[in-house]
Amino acid sequence: MESAKNAWKIHRLTTILLIPLIIYLFVRIIHFSGEPYQLILEELRSLWSILFILIFTVLGLIHMRVGVNEILEDYIHDESAKKVINFLISFFFILILIFVCLSMWLILIF
Amino acid sequence: MVQFNLPDNSKLTDGDYYKLESENKRIKKFKIYRWSPEDDKNPRMDTYEVDIDDCGPMVLDAVMKIKNEVDTSLTFRRSCREGICGSCAMNIDGTNTLACTKAISDVKGDIKIYPLPHMPVIKDLVTNLKNLYKQLKSIKPWLIKQKQEATDTENIQSRNDREKLDGLYECILCACCSTSCPSYWWNSDKYLGPAVLLQSYRWLQDSRDEERKERLKELDDTFKVYRCHTIMNCTQACPKGLNPAKAIAGIKQMIAQQ
Repeated sequence: MESAKNAWKIHRLTTILLIPLIIYLFVRIIHFSGEPYQLILEELRSLWSILFILIFTVLGLIHMRVGVNEILEDYIHDESAKKVINFLISFFFILILIFVCLSMWLILIF
Repeated sequence: MVQFNLPDNSKLTDGDYYKLESENKRIKKFKIYRWSPEDDKNPRMDTYEVDIDDCGPMVLDAVMKIKNEVDTSLTFRRSCREGICGSCAMNIDGTNTLACTKAISDVKGDIKIYPLPHMPVIKDLVTNLKNLYKQLKSIKPWLIKQKQEATDTENIQSRNDREKLDGLYECILCACCSTSCPSYWWNSDKYLGPAVLLQSYRWLQDSRDEERKERLKELDDTFKVYRCHTIMNCTQACPKGLNPAKAIAGIKQMIAQQ
């Protein structure tokens, strides 16, 4: 298990990395709002967009995982309940990652 | 799961009303939390009318006047009455503070006084601080030298190193900060809390101490330090104007740099 120091560092590091990514995401959304569907699809198929979505998803999920763990440590005192909730959250996060990858694959093939 | 609701036997009820027979219009109502372990009754809020023209300026003056002249059973801690000992820490008008440095005139309307929040009550305004003192002991709040002979001579410290202790050594351990911290409310058994962590930082910053590495190693724990989420209630509550949140951030920084 990672030490408290490492969890704290990872949380701060992902926060710092996510700030410019979120700003960039909003700028792109505003930039492409009202554009034709085909153009947006073309943009999503570009290597940069795929990389961006992957990095954003992975960093976001790591940040959420550490954050949710902090909340669990704060409010759930029963160790077995903590384990079950931790497992469910990890499962849910893997589902999100699979869903994102699947969406990207569908965009690429269609 | 942490308990968010009060148990039935802790729910507050209305208490007695002590009316003051006086023609003076400058009368202030003091609503004070009362609970005694000697009976099975729920805690209650007693109301006392106090003539503030016939009383000292601080809340502690009024509470002492009530005890001396109205209700001798009222129980609270007090000692120095000048903000040095930290004994009279209580929750006044919704804020943890020292009754001896809180002016009556600072509170508009009735003055509500409770014991320090989320602490086991011994009686009325007296709380059990055993856990806090146990935690304080765990951080070894004393100077540690590697060699025994070093304790026989004076430990010289430069002016700059001494200045690093400003804002830390002034802590009087009144527990106003720790008992205002929600993280400490939920995890007081494992999280050290702002008061103890400020003390810990005081020793980590001391240039004469030779146990820094070990002290930091002890603190690198999921609960001891990292339950602090920079809520800042501690800094806002501190009656001495200190900044425990900054000290905790300093500890986290020291651990990260180790």
